[in-house]
Amino acid sequence: MTAVWHYISLIFRLLIRIVTAPVWLPFWIVWWLFEKTGINRLIVKVAMALGLYLVFKNLTRKPLRLFLTMFATFVAFLIYGTLSTFESAIDAGVELSADDRLIVVNKINFTQPLPISYVNRVKGLENLTDVTHLNWFGGYYQDPQNFMAMFAVDEDTFLTVYNEIVLTPEERQDWLGSRQGLIAGKSIADQYGWKVGDRIPINSNIFSKADGSTSWEFDVVGIYTGTDAQTDTSSVYFHYDYFNETQSFGRDFIGFIGVRTVDPAMNEGVIKAIDDLFANTPYETETVPEKVFNQAFIEQIGNLSLILGSVVFAAFFIILVIVGNSMVLAIRERTGEIGVLKTLGFKSTRIFFMILAESLLLAIFSGALGLLATSLAVVAVNQAPIQLPVLVLTPAIIIEALVIMIGLGLVTGILPAVNALRLNIIAALSRQ
Amino acid sequence: MLRLLSQIWTVIVMNVRSLPQRLWMSLAATFAVTVVVAVLLSFLAMSNGFSKTLSGTGSEDVAIVTRSGSQSELNSVIGRDSVNILSTASGIAKTADGQPFYSAELYVVVDGKKRSSGTEVNIPMRGISSLGFDLRGGIEIVEGRMFADGTNEIIVGRGILDQFSGFELGSEVAFGKTRWTVVGVFSTGGSAFESELWADARMVQDLFNRGNSFQTMRIKLSEAGNIRGLEEMIENDPRLILDVDTEAGYFAAQGEALEGIVWFGWGIGIVMGLGALAGALNTMYTSVASRASEIATLRAIGFSNVSAFFGTLVESVVLSLIGGVIGALVSYIFMDGLTTATIGASFTQVVFTFELSADLLQNGILLALVIGLVGGFFPALKAARLPVIVAFRGSA
Repeated sequence: MTAVWHYISLIFRLLIRIVTAPVWLPFWIVWWLFEKTGINRLIVKVAMALGLYLVFKNLTRKPLRLFLTMFATFVAFLIYGTLSTFESAIDAGVELSADDRLIVVNKINFTQPLPISYVNRVKGLENLTDVTHLNWFGGYYQDPQNFMAMFAVDEDTFLTVYNEIVLTPEERQDWLGSRQGLIAGKSIADQYGWKVGDRIPINSNIFSKADGSTSWEFDVVGIYTGTDAQTDTSSVYFHYDYFNETQSFGRDFIGFIGVRTVDPAMNEGVIKAIDDLFANTPYETETVPEKVFNQAFIEQIGNLSLILGSVVFAAFFIILVIVGNSMVLAIRERTGEIGVLKTLGFKSTRIFFMILAESLLLAIFSGALGLLATSLAVVAVNQAPIQLPVLVLTPAIIIEALVIMIGLGLVTGILPAVNALRLNIIAALSRQ
Repeated sequence: MLRLLSQIWTVIVMNVRSLPQRLWMSLAATFAVTVVVAVLLSFLAMSNGFSKTLSGTGSEDVAIVTRSGSQSELNSVIGRDSVNILSTASGIAKTADGQPFYSAELYVVVDGKKRSSGTEVNIPMRGISSLGFDLRGGIEIVEGRMFADGTNEIIVGRGILDQFSGFELGSEVAFGKTRWTVVGVFSTGGSAFESELWADARMVQDLFNRGNSFQTMRIKLSEAGNIRGLEEMIENDPRLILDVDTEAGYFAAQGEALEGIVWFGWGIGIVMGLGALAGALNTMYTSVASRASEIATLRAIGFSNVSAFFGTLVESVVLSLIGGVIGALVSYIFMDGLTTATIGASFTQVVFTFELSADLLQNGILLALVIGLVGGFFPALKAARLPVIVAFRGSA
């Protein structure tokens, strides 16, 4: 009976080992590499030299508990890291919007059109450098599910107003000189495997041609990148003239106007001038800075940052409780030892800092592993063929994570550390 | 067998009774499970509420016709001539005076201010006729009155009133140059129509320069779910470049928009669950270690190691389940019935309510159970294989 039980449990444990491999394998590999390269021995030496030897020994006295506590912290920072990069990617649309760029939309709603004649009338106003116009095309590639941000634009003014779009000089020339040319962002081109020179059909779920067909042919003449790593490269642009001449209804209308002002300080005056110009016409306008427009656009989805923030908060709260508890427990188990250390002449304050150092080391080391895993996850997500903004683990996120690690280490260590500081030698030794 | 069961029971009772000795440790493990379950259920309730709202919007005996390939009402355009042709198809119910029972409607987007953020968002405005009311059924004017034909009057859905400001009864709203008065509030029992503004179709055509064109056609079917007659007509008449679906099918597809939230919720739930699992394992290993001499004593007086195993396993499962139940309760109290709005497939705001169902609660409890089982299994194994002599020596 016992023998059978033994084998069953052995097999079961083996299975669990295999199933949970993705969780422990990375840790094991790190340990193995450290062992082989002598980094482990180096850490011990450094710890010794710094007077942290006891701290190190205390931490590793129960490897299983250390591993579990570290794993919990690791998970919290992994969640924090991935959700923060995601949030920062969403915010990038707002952060990266140019301060001197204004968006002119129909006052009723931005999905309502404006007459194309408005572009020239805006151009006549003062304090602005460039004016261009864009029209949402409702484009999708092959399957209606593959919809994308696709705009019919005025080819040359578009590039001056949206100067974060980077094309090579040849691509630029081909774009300006073509009629059915199309430029696609790098991320969307990668997703569908488009290359310069390809001829691709794209459908619209809004517009149709005179013959009723909703499919347009385009030549990919350029694949653009952004001036910033977080610049969105999932949009597609093509010539307004080609669009306007071939579509069957609503000709000579545009979606919105993009305006660059001489200086952001002039924005307010320009906004007023534009909206006043079209007041009391059938198409009244609403002009807003691009930043405001993009922010409002994100708000349409809902309070994303509240949702993501709550999840991160919940994750940290759990970890705080778990790690805090196991620290208290770990120190309580050592009550007798602390008594002995104090008897040997270790200063109370030194013991206090030793315990704090222990919890800090724990938090920082597992947190750093969590961030490391995040950076791997970011690479994986960016290469996956899905429509997501470009994720970047920004320095701001890393710094914030470091602050949280230190905070977590201090909070979880402070209670046992104070207990140890106050511990009376006689009480400590008699409790044993 | 009976003896074994009574042994197991004795150990379980003993373990559970001794829980207060490990109060903080146990509370920490339980609390972690509570948070994990609450987070998971909140996301599931969000997605569930959204899809319930949209699937509750469509009816099986109404067909919806849009321009071919447009996928949503917003992108669609249907000319008056197409409407007239299609209204002669077979399978369309008749009104009391023998006319084909259909409603040609407009669906445009206007700005509204979201209460929660104070920012401008897309609100759908539907141009409709009284036939559209009869066709849907279940519409109730809860405040004020119906709009009068040929006037700038609108009625607003209850969800609009709840989530967006500026549409209170009696207030005046400006869309572009025209001004509209809110004369009534309607309810459709929680469907997506409650997130809309309704006005006379002809007035909307004028304001948005739509001439005599519409965007969708809603057709009452003589036989629920049977759109064969309409499909045949569209197929055979080259002038009709249209798509047709039952309204139920159309909205069910839109309800899938938040399905990603389910994956996100489970992803976060499982990753956080792993963290909670680490906490549970920690707790149970400590529990076994602190009871080593008790376990050894029981073994010495003839209790089997199986009872030690189950005693520890049940303790872990009980702790975890308590956490799971509390988590479920917390999400039920705070999340169920929470109303919010997000952007839907038609590029307009859809007001919906978080909804926790019994199925979803089961998911949460299941996750708690798995954490409890796995978190108890290994420590239980350790308890069962604890060598009696060593345990005694360790406590001496």
